[in-house]
Amino acid sequence: MSEPEHGTVQIEVEADIAVARRVVRDVAGKIGFGITETTRIITAASELGRNVFKYAGKGAMHWRILQKGTASGVELSFEDHGPGIADLDAAMREGYSSGGSLGMGLPGAKRLMDELDVKTALGEGTTVVVRKWRRA
Amino acid sequence: MIEGIAVLKVRDVLLVTMPADPDDATVCALQSRTLDAMEQHDVKGLILDLSKVEILDSYFARTVAETAKMVTLMGGETLIAGMRPSVAITATELNVTLGATRTVLTLDRALDMAGGISRRKTDTKNGHVR
Repeated sequence: MSEPEHGTVQIEVEADIAVARRVVRDVAGKIGFGITETTRIITAASELGRNVFKYAGKGAMHWRILQKGTASGVELSFEDHGPGIADLDAAMREGYSSGGSLGMGLPGAKRLMDELDVKTALGEGTTVVVRKWRRA
Repeated sequence: MIEGIAVLKVRDVLLVTMPADPDDATVCALQSRTLDAMEQHDVKGLILDLSKVEILDSYFARTVAETAKMVTLMGGETLIAGMRPSVAITATELNVTLGATRTVLTLDRALDMAGGISRRKTDTKNGHVR
């Protein structure tokens, strides 16, 4: 079996959030997601990419095409070495934000995607992984 | 790429068209461009055409809502026109709102409505009732 397709977008300046969106659009197109699913995935990527930029200053988005039996999907992993999230439960709650935003980043992305996992450690950074499966 | 925003004066309103996938700098420019144009032209309000927009994340939505609020403070009215179904679905799931901003299905309807607003006002002045 061939290596699954994957890639990385560095998030260092604000405009890189738009670059990440364009890459995600191409990947979603390759997998064959419909317009609404594609919009959900790009929007989630935009929220999570902005979190990286806002809280950590810089980081990266890694993308990977998933294959499980006949199902295909996309995995996006947003990784930073920023301050980490002090209260993850609160960060997952609606309307909570420590960064003066609307606090829709994590709960919003969770609703738009099928799966969301967060790994965070204070002073070490945060990794948010989201996945979306294409319904056949 | 700020030139992606088109600002046109059409009769009594400003018509502002947003590009498909604006970056943060472009979204930010929406506010200043719009408010500057409001000051320069004697208009009743603003039609914000989102029919090309493919992604409305929380930052973009907040800027749109804030701009509409500022236009209201300046004495104008904002109509948002042409939001795509996929964008409306995603914005709802993301739980973003556009505040109290009025929305219309198409740019055509927005222009009709804007024409109606200015006609009504003119008619009142001339003493006509339509």
